[in-house]
Amino acid sequence: MLRGKLKLPEKARRAFPDRLGSIVAGFNEKDEENRGLNHGFELGEELETFQPNGFGLDRELDDYKVEDEKSDGELGFRAPQKPDRDGADSVSFSDVFAADEKRSDLEYEFSQKEINLEKLQRVASSGLPDGGGLRATAWKVIISSSFAHLQLLLGYLPASRDLWEKELIENQSKYAKLKEELLLSPSQFSKREDEPLRSNKQYAGSDADGQLARHDVSTDDHPLCLGQASVWHQYFQFTEILEQIDRDLLRTHPDMKFFSSNSSLSRKNREAMRNILLLFAKLNPVIRYVQGMNEVLAPLYYVFSTDADEKNAANAEADSFACFVRLLSDSVDHFCEQLDNSSVGIHSTLSRLLGLLKANDEELWRHLELTNKVNPQFYAFRWITLLLTQEFDLHSILRIWDCLLSNPFGVQEMLLRVCCAMLLCVKTNLLSGDFVDNLKLLQHYPKINIEHLLQVAQDISPDTSSFCLSP
Amino acid sequence: MVLVLALGDLHIPHRAPDLPPKFKSMLVPGKIQHIICTGNLCIKEVHDYLRTVCPDLHITQGEYDEETRYPETKTLTIGQFKLGICHGHQVIPWGDLDSLAMLQRKLDVDILVTGHTHQFKAYKHEAGVVINPGSATGAHSSITYDVNPSFVLMDIDGLRVVVYVYELIDGEVKVDKIDFKKTTATAPSAH
Repeated sequence: MLRGKLKLPEKARRAFPDRLGSIVAGFNEKDEENRGLNHGFELGEELETFQPNGFGLDRELDDYKVEDEKSDGELGFRAPQKPDRDGADSVSFSDVFAADEKRSDLEYEFSQKEINLEKLQRVASSGLPDGGGLRATAWKVIISSSFAHLQLLLGYLPASRDLWEKELIENQSKYAKLKEELLLSPSQFSKREDEPLRSNKQYAGSDADGQLARHDVSTDDHPLCLGQASVWHQYFQFTEILEQIDRDLLRTHPDMKFFSSNSSLSRKNREAMRNILLLFAKLNPVIRYVQGMNEVLAPLYYVFSTDADEKNAANAEADSFACFVRLLSDSVDHFCEQLDNSSVGIHSTLSRLLGLLKANDEELWRHLELTNKVNPQFYAFRWITLLLTQEFDLHSILRIWDCLLSNPFGVQEMLLRVCCAMLLCVKTNLLSGDFVDNLKLLQHYPKINIEHLLQVAQDISPDTSSFCLSP
Repeated sequence: MVLVLALGDLHIPHRAPDLPPKFKSMLVPGKIQHIICTGNLCIKEVHDYLRTVCPDLHITQGEYDEETRYPETKTLTIGQFKLGICHGHQVIPWGDLDSLAMLQRKLDVDILVTGHTHQFKAYKHEAGVVINPGSATGAHSSITYDVNPSFVLMDIDGLRVVVYVYELIDGEVKVDKIDFKKTTATAPSAH
């Protein structure tokens, strides 16, 4: 059933020459690990098909029908160093034209008073254009209105431009206020408290010499106070979390100057992200901060602060905070340990993923679940809770998130489909490996063509078995 | 926002067995960035204990310290403030503010922390501020009667210092707060 679906897309075929070339140059260590048993067999295959002339390859590919499915997975192994600019691989005239059309479509939509959310999501599902701030605006609209949609439980809400602009401004002022309340250091806090005191009575010792005046604060706050209500105590409780956040921020996307260089701009970005994460931790004492939240925040913040519109870029911090909160509100139940086994917890989501896999490819499901006993907890937990940010590079993540946000039924539903598609795309490798191989493969997911992955995801049929359970 | 703990004159084990338990429960590691100790600990175990509270420890020599290699005076810069430490038994008359002011001018510091008298004092004069954290264990002293255990925690934030004085009076911890500002910023100097 899947053979027909997993045909190599046009772009990938033409790209093959480069990828094979890198094979001859030398295998990646990772490839050897992953191939395992099939090592000898595959070596022979590749060397035979390598030809200096690109055209020969197309014919060769047709001969290797058996290899069809396998090569899908191979694609990723071929060129691990190659940047994942799949969209830009073969820029034909039609592609450029389509991209322009998309851009002008979006711009038109945003200029309207009533934004057609459905249309926006449809455009998003085929990928939003980079640059120009269109992606940022699109994401903001989708995230803020999808949240409203869930909240009001109506059919879909037509997004009125005035409404969402107003909401953005409201968010920004709310955020500024929250920062002031929660992120102040205790010294600054006490300084603020002392201001009225100072103006009222003249401090006896402030200018004249002599004994300095003392003020009893035994019942008030002081740095060594151990009371729960103490500002100082709360401050110290969060220093550990802060340290963790700082460490994680330094590790976010180390290959990107935007996040990890020592320039003042990059420091400013890290500071902004730190504020957002700390604020989130303070507002959610149940889940606080979990390692990986920085990865979920990174694409949001990146998109919003690289917005071409200066004003929007300046408000990136506040907007990212709002969108981050909303995005995580969907999956917040996954982080709470007590809810693990409940119907909204992570285990239930994982079993939904398996149900989806079973409905679409029983053979693979049986192999993973029964033969190898590869528990979805081992690989899919990170996929789902962190919205796939740890599995791909930033550019691919942006594309995948376009697709996730485009689903009118919500991010989680699309996320499960993409996860299932990820499993299907490496099916042959999974089937030919044992427990260790499978786990290694799934925990270090290989690079594949994102467009292809998303296409598979779109084509996945929903799991109808669970529908029978609900009345 | 730098927290600096100033204490001294513990005289463990000669005149006191240990810090009062209420003080010990408050001095939790992780909160304090620097410790300034005026001297008279007197044994190494106390030194080790203070290091567990904070690794950055500055001590000066007291006349009863068993460790003889501490300096007589020490200066350090924290934020915008220059701090000086000296036990105080070298300055005669003991506890005399004018003599201490001379020492302060000699060391050229904004805040001078001394001990020996076992009595808390915070005094301002034109050269700066003198702080005596008292005795953290309430050890007996020949020059002060009715010694209450006390120590000092300074919160240095820019040009402003908030001094929190912790005293154990009748078994209860009393906290006082003293505020003062510096008028001019210190020029950056080699620390």
